[in-house]
Amino acid sequence: MWQFIGRRVALGVLTIFITTVAVTLLIHLVPGDPVQIMYAQSQGTTPEQIEQIRTSLGLDRSIPEQYVRFVGRLLEGDLGVTVRGRQPVLDLLLQRLPNTLALAFSAMAVAAVLGLPLGFLAAYRRGTMLDTALMTLAIAGVSVPHFWLGLLLLFAFAVELQWLPVAGTGPLNLVLPALTLGLSNAAIVARMTRSSMIDVMSQDFVRTAHAKGLPKAMVLERHVLRAGLVPIITMAGLQFAAMMGGAIVVENIFAWNGVGRLAIEAIFQRDYPMIQGFILVFATVVVVMSILLDVVYALVDPRIRRG
Amino acid sequence: MKQSIRKALVSAAATILLGGIAPAASARDIVWARYGDMDTLDPHRATSTLSLQVWSLVYDTLLAVDATGKPVPNVARSWTTSTDGTEYTFKLNEGVVCHDGTPLDANDVKYTVDRAFDTSNPSLTKASWGPVTSVEVIDPLTVTIKLDKPFVALVPFLADSFSSIICDSSKDAPGFGSTAAIGSGPWKFVSWTKGDRIVLTGNTSYRNFGKLAENKGAPYMEGLVITTVPEPQARLAGLKTGAIQIAEPPLDDVPALKQSGDLKIVIAGNTGQNVFWEFAVHRPPFNDPRARRAVAHATDAAAAIDLIYGDLSLPEKCPISRGVFGNDQEFCARHGQSYDPEKARALLAELGYGPDKPLEVTMIAWTGGKRDKLAEVFQSQLAEVGITARIEIMDIGTMNARVRQENEKRDGIGSLDMMTWSWFDPDILYALWHSPGAYRGYTSSELDAMLEKTRVLSDQAEREAAVRDVMAYLLENAIHVPLYTPGWEWVFAVRPEVTGFKVAPFVYPVFNDVRF
Repeated sequence: MWQFIGRRVALGVLTIFITTVAVTLLIHLVPGDPVQIMYAQSQGTTPEQIEQIRTSLGLDRSIPEQYVRFVGRLLEGDLGVTVRGRQPVLDLLLQRLPNTLALAFSAMAVAAVLGLPLGFLAAYRRGTMLDTALMTLAIAGVSVPHFWLGLLLLFAFAVELQWLPVAGTGPLNLVLPALTLGLSNAAIVARMTRSSMIDVMSQDFVRTAHAKGLPKAMVLERHVLRAGLVPIITMAGLQFAAMMGGAIVVENIFAWNGVGRLAIEAIFQRDYPMIQGFILVFATVVVVMSILLDVVYALVDPRIRRG
Repeated sequence: MKQSIRKALVSAAATILLGGIAPAASARDIVWARYGDMDTLDPHRATSTLSLQVWSLVYDTLLAVDATGKPVPNVARSWTTSTDGTEYTFKLNEGVVCHDGTPLDANDVKYTVDRAFDTSNPSLTKASWGPVTSVEVIDPLTVTIKLDKPFVALVPFLADSFSSIICDSSKDAPGFGSTAAIGSGPWKFVSWTKGDRIVLTGNTSYRNFGKLAENKGAPYMEGLVITTVPEPQARLAGLKTGAIQIAEPPLDDVPALKQSGDLKIVIAGNTGQNVFWEFAVHRPPFNDPRARRAVAHATDAAAAIDLIYGDLSLPEKCPISRGVFGNDQEFCARHGQSYDPEKARALLAELGYGPDKPLEVTMIAWTGGKRDKLAEVFQSQLAEVGITARIEIMDIGTMNARVRQENEKRDGIGSLDMMTWSWFDPDILYALWHSPGAYRGYTSSELDAMLEKTRVLSDQAEREAAVRDVMAYLLENAIHVPLYTPGWEWVFAVRPEVTGFKVAPFVYPVFNDVRF
């Protein structure tokens, strides 16, 4: 088991490393320069001073050199300071990461609470009108863009009914973004659950259980549900990564103060230290989540940790 | 780092269980929602409008501007200039108090300027102060700024929040710029949750000596909360429910809002923003002034603005917009190219283009603010005279890099772009067009000499004449073809019960008179 975890962690570190290298290269491919953008559209400074600022930020160095400096600082636990406002990147990220995690976990909860029972129900009533209705709803759920769903919910619950606040960061403010992000993921979870359960239901051991004369409820609970959950747990890891990505759009609509919005602003301003810091933290969260899920998976299914 | 991550996780749980950290706005607070956040409270470490707007609330400036954009006394009750134009002496008003209770005096002004010129960490906008050599405190209420050579743009600069007076007690304030800011403006800084909100409280000992507000004392409302709400529809939703009192609405909804009367629309005037055509001038066809003039003659800015913005924006004839010293619509109209498609066709024919051989160009514009729609209108206007323009819309960061690339390219099809700049003084033309040029575009030694003159003439009439010379040159050669003003973040929707909200020149909202 420890060997298994060790391997997963090593792979995770490699993933994070490759991600940061890729991002460093990619952000420099996008035209635009943070210092130039900072002064764009107004006067404020002289070309000489712009060069001085670029030098002080290390932007005059080659891209590999900038990356090495970034990693060097990173090993000391320093993610650098933002180009705009010169504030510590790590502080800004950690101030806002809790909000994004809160959003992603709440959305996961919404997706699980809605998706699992509905998917199970559809599998159980396979081929009926109910199944068709639920799966049509699920396809609709997957197809609706977050942006549109978010605005619909905003106008329904915040403007018309006035049950929930419009925008901002607080406990009640979490409801709408979590629903927006959770609903479309609930649709995915429901579809996954249905197909996984149908798969299990047609297996020999389930037929045997039925043949033994076990009550239906016990067959479903003890045999079908347990076996059917394994692939769903794995998928939850991928879902979580998607959820963190989806959070960027949703955070923007509802002014939820998470790292996603921070990243969008940083990208438009080409704030390299901020973008690099964001990707590092983002990749770490996703990798840690998937390692945790792998471990859970391995605990549930002993074949995994041996393979 | 591990520890901080654990802390982050714990606080994620706390966010869910206990609720947000940010205090809710009380009924006596104004809530103003903007699309983005400021960069810092330190006036020497940022350049964005979003930052400047906040500084203008927390700090005072020596001078202020009247509704037309002209500098007037504020903290300084009067000023004199030495005959050679290298010494500016300011007499300060008595009774201005910093937020920590200490009186604001000449030492605070000296502290601010010295800090801007700190050799190890100068202000980002150091150059805008001009060639300052020293600041001398004559007595507590008299201060002299000494220059190496004349620099007349100093006066309008001292009326802008770039020159915010930082009280010298800020020196000892830990976290100055992010968790502390000591000024003497109408609003005191309370807290800043980056990305979410800035909380300010009314400065009860505030005295208004020159800011564009009728209220001569403290603001009427208790507090001012500036929140960040990036999505325009969410801002509109907040305005409708009353969670927000003032915000920029989605531009497409403005006509309907005006008609329904649910919200008041306030338009910022004299913003100094200038939207204009400029061209890649180092290759054909736009290295030839006739091709540039043809575009100018083919452009009917008034019709396009009317179609896209209605009465929210105005056509602008000058390279420096309304509110800026030297702006004169009639003068600029005389020197610029009026809308005349026939002349455009004739010029194109001279260059060998015609119905059988259209001129193909790229038209670059900045995303947002309905500028994509506006570009389409201009595209059809250019098509009328036989110019086929391919529109490319991009974010402002990309656009700035791209325009420079276009100027550095020596071949390829012609390129023109709808550029947008803003400044409170004609010195903006120096930044744009003095060698090497902001985007390495048009420059000439003749123009350089004319621009240099606008910087040193301290006599107002002489300087105005010099600015006019520059404008005439830019217009006649169709280097900078003005289109309209204002151009971005200039429309405010206000709840019907809110009175007294106004926007001072250069997009500085003023809340001193606000009541509801």
